[in-house]
Amino acid sequence: MKLKDIYEQKYKVLLLIPFIILVLALLQIGIQTAVTGDFVNKGITLKGGSSITLDKTDMVNVEELGLFLQDKFPKADINVRTISSAGQVVSVAVDSDAQENSEINALTKAVTEKYNLGKEDYSIEVMGSALGNSFFKQTFMALIIAFLLMGIVVLIYFRTIIPSLAVILAALSDIIVTLSIFNLTGIKLSTAGIAAFLMLIGYSVDTDILLSTRLLKRKEGTVMDRVYGAMKTGLTMSTTTLVAIGVALIFVESEVVKQIMIILFIGLLVDLVMTWIQNVGILRMYIEKKRK
Amino acid sequence: MNQRLKNIISNWRVIMLVIFLVFAIVSIHPKVFGNEGVTIRSVVQNSSAELAGIQNPSPKLTPLAKEKIISFNGEKINTADDFYKLTSNLKENRSLMLETSDGFYTLKTKRDVSGEIDLGLKIYQAPTSNLRKGLDLEGGTRVLLKPAEPISEEDLEITIANLKERLNVYGLSDVIVRAASDLAGEDFILIEIAGVTEDEVRELLSQQGKFEAKIGNETVFFGGKKDITYVCRSADCSGIDPRRGCSKTSDGGYACSFFFGITLSEEAAERQAELTDKLTVLSEEGGSYLSDDIALYLDDNEVDRLRIGADLKGRATMNIQISGAGAGPTQADGVTDALKNMKRLQTIIITGSLPVKLDVVKMDTISPSLGKEFLDNIVLVGLLAILSVITVVLIRYRKIKVVAPMVFIIISEMVLILGFASLVGWNLDLAAIAGIIIVAGTGVDHLIIITDETLKGEVISDWKKRIKNAMFIVMGAYLTTCAGMLPLWFAGAGLLKGFAFTTIVGISFGVLVARPAYAAMIEQLLKE
Repeated sequence: MKLKDIYEQKYKVLLLIPFIILVLALLQIGIQTAVTGDFVNKGITLKGGSSITLDKTDMVNVEELGLFLQDKFPKADINVRTISSAGQVVSVAVDSDAQENSEINALTKAVTEKYNLGKEDYSIEVMGSALGNSFFKQTFMALIIAFLLMGIVVLIYFRTIIPSLAVILAALSDIIVTLSIFNLTGIKLSTAGIAAFLMLIGYSVDTDILLSTRLLKRKEGTVMDRVYGAMKTGLTMSTTTLVAIGVALIFVESEVVKQIMIILFIGLLVDLVMTWIQNVGILRMYIEKKRK
Repeated sequence: MNQRLKNIISNWRVIMLVIFLVFAIVSIHPKVFGNEGVTIRSVVQNSSAELAGIQNPSPKLTPLAKEKIISFNGEKINTADDFYKLTSNLKENRSLMLETSDGFYTLKTKRDVSGEIDLGLKIYQAPTSNLRKGLDLEGGTRVLLKPAEPISEEDLEITIANLKERLNVYGLSDVIVRAASDLAGEDFILIEIAGVTEDEVRELLSQQGKFEAKIGNETVFFGGKKDITYVCRSADCSGIDPRRGCSKTSDGGYACSFFFGITLSEEAAERQAELTDKLTVLSEEGGSYLSDDIALYLDDNEVDRLRIGADLKGRATMNIQISGAGAGPTQADGVTDALKNMKRLQTIIITGSLPVKLDVVKMDTISPSLGKEFLDNIVLVGLLAILSVITVVLIRYRKIKVVAPMVFIIISEMVLILGFASLVGWNLDLAAIAGIIIVAGTGVDHLIIITDETLKGEVISDWKKRIKNAMFIVMGAYLTTCAGMLPLWFAGAGLLKGFAFTTIVGISFGVLVARPAYAAMIEQLLKE
């Protein structure tokens, strides 16, 4: 059997793939939560950390220090900034996600040994999260309402329940699976990363609405003709975005923007499965049932 | 071909896009030449600069409209370094000439509070457009606050929430507030704010903000939501008091009064009725008043004292006027100061008092977390991304007629977002950049949808129908994405708010203005 035949005829079996992926993803997130206490590796902006302030700044080069520390502690989330007064740099702040004493000590040792600093040349402050404790709760509430509202809008637009649920399910699966793959990379999530996950909603909705419209509202050709038509457009959309993100990943220097790009890249790949296998499968089953 | 071009230019959708673009560019006002000089960020109170008549820039001014220093003692100032070099070794009691974009000033050098000779001017390199850069991109002020007495974790959280609200109500949105502690376990609060006037913020943050209105020794109401349900901040019930206005003071300056209306809760109004009922009516020239005044206190200092009209005796009035004053060397300064005090008092009354007084430990300027080269790099990456998009669509469609308008539309959409950002004066930060990325990304998606729907010309011959079909999908995706973003906008958490807002504004401009113009363009270009 050729790939095309499998895609056209065995779509109900294929439908298992996205659901198995979804279950595996939920499993990964569950294990991650059980082991670390958090569903995702949180970075400095999300969980807080510590700030080492160096008061002797004449030999410190901010960029170089940042690279040096990133190199030495590849797993840590480190950010080096200058503090100035009247145009003069008075101190350098090394912000990191280190909260445990051992982590802070290792980092402090690296910095003080590099510049030969004494105890009086630096100070350490432990910072809490920039976001309140209620941040994640609020965000989850907002997300639940967001998915409800989106469901209502799609329902009004297409006036059928199953296809509307399919759009929402695709967007939700996309976010969950991407989150679990992101966890596996070991990168620490920043607030900007959260924005990236939310951006997936927009990308996912685009392809799904395209597919639903072509399958449900158009009459020309067979169902499969319409699936392929939609796929041609949809794949052009995903390809342009993936290529643009790929190029951005190579050239972007900022860690934060890199993180946004990585999440989008994973998310768009996952979206291909969720749109062209999951959503197509559900819609074809729906159309078939309606014909009977 | 000429006829087609004419048709495109005269199409109303294209005309609308061009009008929006012109507006956007005017509001961004990019400046390629004439960027020399440094802009005044703030003027320190009672410094040489303030005494010479240089005013603190109003936060409402657009970045390009702020006062710029052009020369110092005849020497031209091009960069911030020039300014620091020229002002670093000043002698006491010398007269200096300062030329700014607003005029000439003569400054007399003097020692400041710490005994150093300082002009009291905080400056930064003059901006090149009206785009405001946020904390991530431009850095700002870092304030370390310490509670005056040890407080519980719960109170610390209340304090942080209250400070956040205070800064928000005051109109500063690009703010990070968080708890911090040193290794000895002492609690601090760390605040980072995108470039602002330091004095104002210092007062706003360090004031505990215990606001009370008293008649005799009895409190009528406190600041905060429990007693005061509404504080008027619109022009019809707040501003300079028309009945009291400004008057000359004995030392030659001007004092101006402000007022604003508030609404009391029923409970507080009852308390007022009880207290006024005990007072006696005094008849004097100009009307009848009660025997005691209502006095307003902020952190136990009297702000103002008002007579109570006799008709209010024993009545539970819920609408009350709060007043206070400001002063300055000229009448205009007096008005500015009064309005500044009014804004601070309103903020404090709305947000209530902090559980504890806070001391400002230090206040510094902090460099942007994203680094200096960030913006240059992001622009480069953006251009490369657009180039790669062009390559892919060229391979797919092989028609310059399709690709050229597409590129024009993508760039237009970004200009529209930035134009809107500078018009409403919102800070460009990481959230905004994330929003712009999603708008550009879904923009390309929608242009491809429109192209594919219209290129399928063999099946449907009617162009209007084809575009209608395309816009059906685009609108569906637009409405759904908006529905997803709206709750995040209202969720309240800073970053998400900015992101949701940028996304909604950006895709709205895209779907309602730019993308229909694209449909009109390729209709003209591809029609047989």
